[in-house]
Amino acid sequence: MAISLQEAFYFVQDVWQYVNVNLERRSLRQPGRGTDYSSETQGGSTIVSGIHPKRMHMRVTGINQGTKSSKTFSFERLDGPIPPFRPGQYINLFLDVDGVMTSRPYSIASSPGAQTLELTVRDNPGGFVAPYILNELLIGDEIVTTGPEGHFYHEPLTDGRDLVFLAGGSGITPFMSMIRYFLTTDAPQPPPDITLIYGSRMADDIIYNDELTRLSADYPNFKYVSVISEPPPGFNGVAGLLDASLISRLVPNIEGKTFYICGPNAMYDLCLGALIKLGIPRYRIKRELYGPPEDITSLPGWPAEVRPENIFDIAIAGFKQIRAPAGEPLMNSLERYGIVVPAICRVGECSACRVRLLKGKVFMPPQTGIRESDRDFGYIHACVSYPLEDLQIRI
Amino acid sequence: MGRKYDAIVIGAGLGGLSAATMLARNGLSVLLLERHNVPGGYATSFVRGRYEFEVALHELSGIGPTERRGGLYRYLEYLGVTNKVDFLILPYLYRSVFPDIDITLPAGDQEFKDALCATFPEQADGINRFMKRIFDLGRDYSKFIRKGGRVNPIKMPFQHPHFFRYLPTTWGQILNRDISDPRLRGVLSQYWGYVGMPPSQISFLYFAMTLASYIRRGPAFPKGRSQALSNAFMDTFEELGGEAKFNCGVKKILTENDRASGVITEQEQEIHADWIISNADPVTTCHEMIGAKNTPSEFFRRLQSSEIAASTVNVYMGVAQPHKKLGLDEHEVFINSDYNFERHYQAMHTLEAPPAMAVTCYNVVYPDISPPGTSVVVLTSLAFGKPWYQVSPAAYVDTKNRLAEAMIQMAEKVAPDLRKYTEVIEVSTPVTNIRYAGTLGGSIYGFNQPPRDNMVWRLGTKGPVSGLYFVGAWVQPGGGFEPSIMSGQIAGSAVTRQIKKRREGILNGN
Repeated sequence: MAISLQEAFYFVQDVWQYVNVNLERRSLRQPGRGTDYSSETQGGSTIVSGIHPKRMHMRVTGINQGTKSSKTFSFERLDGPIPPFRPGQYINLFLDVDGVMTSRPYSIASSPGAQTLELTVRDNPGGFVAPYILNELLIGDEIVTTGPEGHFYHEPLTDGRDLVFLAGGSGITPFMSMIRYFLTTDAPQPPPDITLIYGSRMADDIIYNDELTRLSADYPNFKYVSVISEPPPGFNGVAGLLDASLISRLVPNIEGKTFYICGPNAMYDLCLGALIKLGIPRYRIKRELYGPPEDITSLPGWPAEVRPENIFDIAIAGFKQIRAPAGEPLMNSLERYGIVVPAICRVGECSACRVRLLKGKVFMPPQTGIRESDRDFGYIHACVSYPLEDLQIRI
Repeated sequence: MGRKYDAIVIGAGLGGLSAATMLARNGLSVLLLERHNVPGGYATSFVRGRYEFEVALHELSGIGPTERRGGLYRYLEYLGVTNKVDFLILPYLYRSVFPDIDITLPAGDQEFKDALCATFPEQADGINRFMKRIFDLGRDYSKFIRKGGRVNPIKMPFQHPHFFRYLPTTWGQILNRDISDPRLRGVLSQYWGYVGMPPSQISFLYFAMTLASYIRRGPAFPKGRSQALSNAFMDTFEELGGEAKFNCGVKKILTENDRASGVITEQEQEIHADWIISNADPVTTCHEMIGAKNTPSEFFRRLQSSEIAASTVNVYMGVAQPHKKLGLDEHEVFINSDYNFERHYQAMHTLEAPPAMAVTCYNVVYPDISPPGTSVVVLTSLAFGKPWYQVSPAAYVDTKNRLAEAMIQMAEKVAPDLRKYTEVIEVSTPVTNIRYAGTLGGSIYGFNQPPRDNMVWRLGTKGPVSGLYFVGAWVQPGGGFEPSIMSGQIAGSAVTRQIKKRREGILNGN
């Protein structure tokens, strides 16, 4: 085999490089040379905890009786500054309710950059956590929360500047944060045009009504319409539900608009149906999940033979056995027995409560954001899993 | 204090999953500890609305079609993982777009060469010469791997001449000898993003092995995305009797008489084992878990001679439009603003808009990866973690969106309606990588991969105290899905060998 002069030259070059690389390897080990990793470790953890603190220690600094059924709480953070968040995001509050360690997510109503963080909680008669917060949480009390989480916000990359907010009941809170941010802070200019259609049951129980009315008077780019579903006699405002005819009347031109929905599940179904009927494409509609379904048995796919009050045995690998009703999320039943599963969103989206189902069947609503392969390998999101028979799980 | 295990694996990234499964397969009692609640490290996915996004994987190497299985597939088969996950084998490597060139390169030795020669006929001789170098090296490397990567350094130049010769060289250095057309150099160097450094700096070995594997066997992709691969590992591991704990980080590695002897978890639980395998990066493992005091200073000097590789900025888009209508006919499109990869690498050290990126749309080859009539499109550019440390938390979203905006505009060159139909969008940065995977600098390839840190000279899996091993991209054989998985095989077999030796010793009465 003949080797050209050129190849021979390359060969010598490569051998020479062999020597060079080894000299380089050696010299980089000398003191003061090479990489200083301490700044990397430090820099990385500082920025991560500055943007995404895992936990925040908060103290109640103010409580306002906003309406007859709701209170607004202000919090300061004790273990650092309130991190920046996207208006519309939520935090999950960890609470000890009558000896049960549980948690509930609440949308932040204040604007990023505000001195305190504001949450509004509406009473939910017969509920477990809301009555506790409204009755037991006092000024000076300290609680632990997650950092800001969630994906329900205005995304300047795609959402444009023509926004329609459809809110129902306490579903106003994420919009409150967005509205305050866009109208009253130095948010990027020019500000978007916002139409808020806000459905409430009673005319005398509209959360943030005064502030919204005032803002709509002050800012021509903000249009506020309150809609009452159970108007009192002689009511002269807008009455009814957020259906297609109402939306098309209030938003005559849908071109280029992005729609955001937050409210009870029934309201969401109604609004989504209305928007689709009006020809608004799915990619222009954003939705915040609003807790687990109110009546799981009404969802398509729920087996008729299972009653919500049916009780099943749940065996937890390495722990114990508990009993859980079909009509309640598995996570809530676990918490009742003192078994805390990591939780953030509690609506099936975030997968923090991903646990393995070793035996048995559960029902998960279609909204559950479960990975395809997790489903294949038998993982479930405990926060929206309803037992349909005796189960064996691994946390 | 709980029970004692044969081995504890810290971290359920690909290296950790691989090592844990390998050890369980060899009959060891193994405890796998993971800080996050989902296994896989970067080999994972996330759901937004009706879309599920692959986080990290672009193309998987080492799988191959039934008649030509690669090393990775054979290893997964040995473990039993292939019973639980299926792979798609893709017919081409990528589409490469420059201002004056737009070419798609098919898989297969001859097909690849033919496609290049059709566009660059005057470079045909060089192409043939260059491809021969790559395949000669590939054969040598396979031999080297079959021997478990252990060779006598004196014999190496004779037994593995090509491998030996190219050991100290860079990709650019060898490429430029055979190829003179800068456009062809650009097209052939397109995978530089898969190895993290531009042609002038990246180890020839790494680049050539990567390219050769994709050409030979075609790139692969697991059905169910890389989370399916991670879940298949977990399932196999548990079937083999392995135990796993999630939401369970490790704070300290315990040592006893200069030997790793156990761990302390973040929940302050002390667990003992004969062997500790760390899938955390070696810097964090030594500085924080073992402690500087218990680590030989010589080892820190070795670490300082390496450097952290790049991280990524990704724009994940769920688009309510079929890929064909978007104009995407290839699963991987590299878009380059020019041929100056050195400048692109410089830009990665800043917060500037990236001059090059990949547009990935798996619907092209994997139609049910998103609901009918929709596509998932991911824009990826490389970026170092360091500049992000200077960003104030309040400016973070604006900073990442500024980059994402530029990337979307660049992608609109090949998919004009991309933004218009976007239903969900999520932007990740090096900060995201650090947050979820805990990797130093958000690095996706562990240590950078110049010749001095190539698969031979890279940090080995054996740790600085006995009983401790490293796995993952940071150690041999290197960065990427296949190498990270193979690091678990290397560490796993080293531990298995030593246990066997010990047992034989006991049997012989020593």
